[in-house]
Amino acid sequence: MNKIPALSPTVLLAVALLIYPLIFSGAFYLDVGVTFLLAAISASAWNIVGGYAGQVSVGHAMFFGLGAYAPLLCYKLYGWTPMAGIPFGIAASVALAILIGIPTFRLTGHYFSMATIAVAELIRIYFGTWDLVGAAIGLQGPATARGWWDLTFRSELPYYYIFLTVLAVLLSFTYLMERHRFGYYLRAIKVGERAARSLGVPVQQTKIRALVLSAMFTSVAGSLYSVKTGFIDPESGFGILVSVQMVIIAALGGAGRLYGPLIGALILIPLQTATNTWFGGGGTGLTFIVYGGIIVLIARYEPGGIYDLWEQISPRRWRRKHAS
Amino acid sequence: MKGFRVLKAVAAAATAFTFYAAAQTNAAESVKIGIIWPLTGNAAAAGQASKAAAEVAADIVNNAHPELGDLPLAKTAGLPNMGGAKLELIFVDHQGNPSLAQQLATRLITQDKVHVLMGAYQSSCSFTATAVAERYGIPFMVGESAAGNITGRGFKWVFRGTPIASDYARTYMRFFADMKKQGKKIDSIAIVNENTDYGTSVADAIVEEAKKANVPVALRIPYSASSTDVSAQILQLKEKNPDVVIFISYTADSILYMKSMNNLQYKPPMVIGDDTGFSDPSFIPAVADAAQGAMNRSAWAIGKPGSTTYKINEMYKAKTGRDLDDTSARNMQSFFALADAINRAGSTDPEKIREALTKTDLKPEQLMMGYQGVKFDETGQNILAATYLIQLHDKSYELVWPDNAATAKLQWPMTGGKN
Repeated sequence: MNKIPALSPTVLLAVALLIYPLIFSGAFYLDVGVTFLLAAISASAWNIVGGYAGQVSVGHAMFFGLGAYAPLLCYKLYGWTPMAGIPFGIAASVALAILIGIPTFRLTGHYFSMATIAVAELIRIYFGTWDLVGAAIGLQGPATARGWWDLTFRSELPYYYIFLTVLAVLLSFTYLMERHRFGYYLRAIKVGERAARSLGVPVQQTKIRALVLSAMFTSVAGSLYSVKTGFIDPESGFGILVSVQMVIIAALGGAGRLYGPLIGALILIPLQTATNTWFGGGGTGLTFIVYGGIIVLIARYEPGGIYDLWEQISPRRWRRKHAS
Repeated sequence: MKGFRVLKAVAAAATAFTFYAAAQTNAAESVKIGIIWPLTGNAAAAGQASKAAAEVAADIVNNAHPELGDLPLAKTAGLPNMGGAKLELIFVDHQGNPSLAQQLATRLITQDKVHVLMGAYQSSCSFTATAVAERYGIPFMVGESAAGNITGRGFKWVFRGTPIASDYARTYMRFFADMKKQGKKIDSIAIVNENTDYGTSVADAIVEEAKKANVPVALRIPYSASSTDVSAQILQLKEKNPDVVIFISYTADSILYMKSMNNLQYKPPMVIGDDTGFSDPSFIPAVADAAQGAMNRSAWAIGKPGSTTYKINEMYKAKTGRDLDDTSARNMQSFFALADAINRAGSTDPEKIREALTKTDLKPEQLMMGYQGVKFDETGQNILAATYLIQLHDKSYELVWPDNAATAKLQWPMTGGKN
């Protein structure tokens, strides 16, 4: 009996996500669903190093961008299916994570964040002038599919389930990580790096491993984005907004929590879409005002994220229910 | 518990939105045109100006304007072949985000059930939005995007009314050939371009056309539009001393170049600006003392009082308080070409509209722009698009080339500034 209350929200969530396309079958709602899943994947990937280990990277777009460029570059250069580029994106991201992890993890707090921004911006500017990757104009995928292996579908439905599978894999991985020694190391580092070190936690090594894992999944998120959009340019791959969105979503839902990023995306993406649908056509910028206002409200009243809020409320409700 | 209330409000908003679009009903006899532009963000100014231009164009089509001469659909109210059906415009804002442009194109097609699409200003957004239109089989009119390969990807449903980078490059080369005939010396040119997609693609096109026309490019200088000091670039130019310098620049940087050139006492025989920065309303007041005789391109000319273009400009001015600019005017012309095709199709069936678009053949006198016509090739590109060249005389631009349309005499070499 003890396990059921912990399990049931997960099952409910899984069922809801699985049947969403059956309820909202319109292409636009599916596209919003796909956007939501992608946001959840990238924020969950960021969460490994940014949430659990508390190393707030604001340059995760560098991994997202590498992952996004790789499939379309393979298509452009060799005419391969974009899918073939995903491993290259992962490999490049892992290499980059190790390369920048070694020097930047000597920095802490804001300095680490600033260093990651700097690296991401450098890469963005470099890609903007590099002819092989289409310079400032960017790369395109196959306009019409040559076969299913091009992953260019007219319907959004296949994307939805592909993205959902990736999200499920990522969350299961994070779930296992939480319970593994590695997960405890990460949380120990987050709470106090010196204390963790004095207890024998290999701090530097653990942080780099976390960054590598995070980079791998972020790169996959980038690949999914470019395969689905069929287009990538420096701004949509490496732009600072890409990084910031991951941070905002994870922080809003609850950084360092398994479902934190998912909840954050569940709120933010429909909100973005709704404000743009209602106020976007007037061109008054009201979209951003409303959107920003809501973020301010949430930050003011619940800076710990929605997940924290839930944890404060649910025991009280449980007690009330079982008091009589 | 306050936080919980906020959460509830957010959740309510999210659910409410999902029912919103579903509740929208179809108006029966109007033709819906979905327009995707950047109404906020970096390019908001261009998007907003174009939005006003599209609204003026819709007014011209939807109401009777017999005073506008041969402009198609101006005389009658609505589309005559469809029983006077009106055009209904639905604007959406992609904020310069290619992924959002894709999503909005999907929304316009599947939720709002638009019959045709138009957009999307930034080339990156045009790439993704046109791909959606192609998948759903909805005609897409690209009003104003520079990148050459938006058309020519084998798409059936994409049309582009505006001239593109290679058209502009060819115009410059024709102009140079003309000048050489008149005995002007053009032995080498230099290209100075900002280094994002706009500057890069136009500069590439000019280099290519120059090679074909046997005009040596002495120097090409890419730079970042956010630079605050360009003296190094100007000294490079001074050293090579080309006969013409072509600038492909945004606003602040083009002003910076003109002022710094004046301060460093560098004056090439001729400067040509590729629209954009040189056409910005703030350009002339800022550099009128430093860049007399600088040239610019524009397919739009206000014309003499009483002319069709003059009247269109008056309508636009009444709405916005500004003169119509080249970018918005090119969008407006694409809009008219689209409306003309819908009328000839006589139906809102996408396939019929597409067919009518492929048969478009507008003559110069039916246009508001200085094109030689509107006619789409098999890739969807308007092959008759062209542009005028204009020159800064005192405090305004005058049309100086080609001769048959010119309203003022070309000054060569340019006067420049006082230094």
